[in-house]
Amino acid sequence: MPESVPSSLIIDAFKEIFQAERRGAKRQDPLGWIISVPDTHQKSVLAALDKERALRVLTCSTEDDANAVAAGLYITGEPVIVMIQHAGLFASVNTIRGISMDGRVPIFYMIGLLSREKDKDPKDSRHSMVRFAEPLLDVFSIPHARMEGPDDLHLISEYYRKSRERKGPAAVLVGLETA
Amino acid sequence: MMKPEEILKLIAAARGTAICVPTMTTAPAWRKIAPDDLSVGCVGFMGGASALGLGLALGAPARRVIVFDGDGSLLMQLGSLATIAGAAPRNLTHLLFKNGVYHTSGSQETPGGQGVDFAAMAKAAGYRNTYTIGTLDDFKKRLPGLLTEEGPILAQLMTGLAESTPMTAGPSTPFHQQVADLHAKVGGTR
Repeated sequence: MPESVPSSLIIDAFKEIFQAERRGAKRQDPLGWIISVPDTHQKSVLAALDKERALRVLTCSTEDDANAVAAGLYITGEPVIVMIQHAGLFASVNTIRGISMDGRVPIFYMIGLLSREKDKDPKDSRHSMVRFAEPLLDVFSIPHARMEGPDDLHLISEYYRKSRERKGPAAVLVGLETA
Repeated sequence: MMKPEEILKLIAAARGTAICVPTMTTAPAWRKIAPDDLSVGCVGFMGGASALGLGLALGAPARRVIVFDGDGSLLMQLGSLATIAGAAPRNLTHLLFKNGVYHTSGSQETPGGQGVDFAAMAKAAGYRNTYTIGTLDDFKKRLPGLLTEEGPILAQLMTGLAESTPMTAGPSTPFHQQVADLHAKVGGTR
């Protein structure tokens, strides 16, 4: 059965990634960027990020903005993670294709599966937005994995790294609402 | 109406080390005027120039970033005005080339056409300053300020049509190559 992942563990995972990226860099402030269109599923993480001084959170009007901002930050050498919801994934597929895929811009996404039923595999969900998120990523050949509990935290750094290695998008789907 | 190419020539002469983000009909002309410089053109994701410029401006705060946006393009991501205003990058100059039409697809009028006031929208969103410029003489006078004034600022430039569009111009450097080139130039100097 899937479990909620505590926000503190997720933020620690973000920080570890950013610390590794910043090693030897002149610029250390902020440690890294979180580009977000607020996701109810990850609200505990967003609330905890508000208190983080080392990380800069930028809230965007749309996921299209978030993708483009993340690309600009990447070009200038800044470490960045994008936090959105499945609805935002659906809304911004052309921008993901145009920027991250065609532009070969490594962008790592944390995508919340809002309304995913705890006792169901997403493919059996009664909510289309839950059911179609992973198949959509498959259509675009975007590597993805689902974080189903604290034991899966390693996926965050693994898929961040994957986005860098393949120079393109990679995503971790947040299975249950974060704690 | 100003000619976009004349505006771009003036910018090329004055921009120094600024990063430029052309989109749509400014892209082919900018390639000719400034072929090998700190630029990345938006092709294939119409509407993204302003937000891409924002990311560049936040990531490279010591440089000026100049976005060459279009009215049809900005309408596709109008919320970026609020995103930019909220982030408040001091080094971002947002130039809006306003011709009132979708030139590339045959000059259909944009929604609202010339009646849409993007300068007023940007000001209301929270840009530090906005301008509307209708003549090349006025643009020449204001250009030094546009490149140095604390941002974010938007200048709505009343222009005619560009001589070429991405569809009529020859092939350009692929977007991924432009990204890689600019990343190599500015991504390692942080």
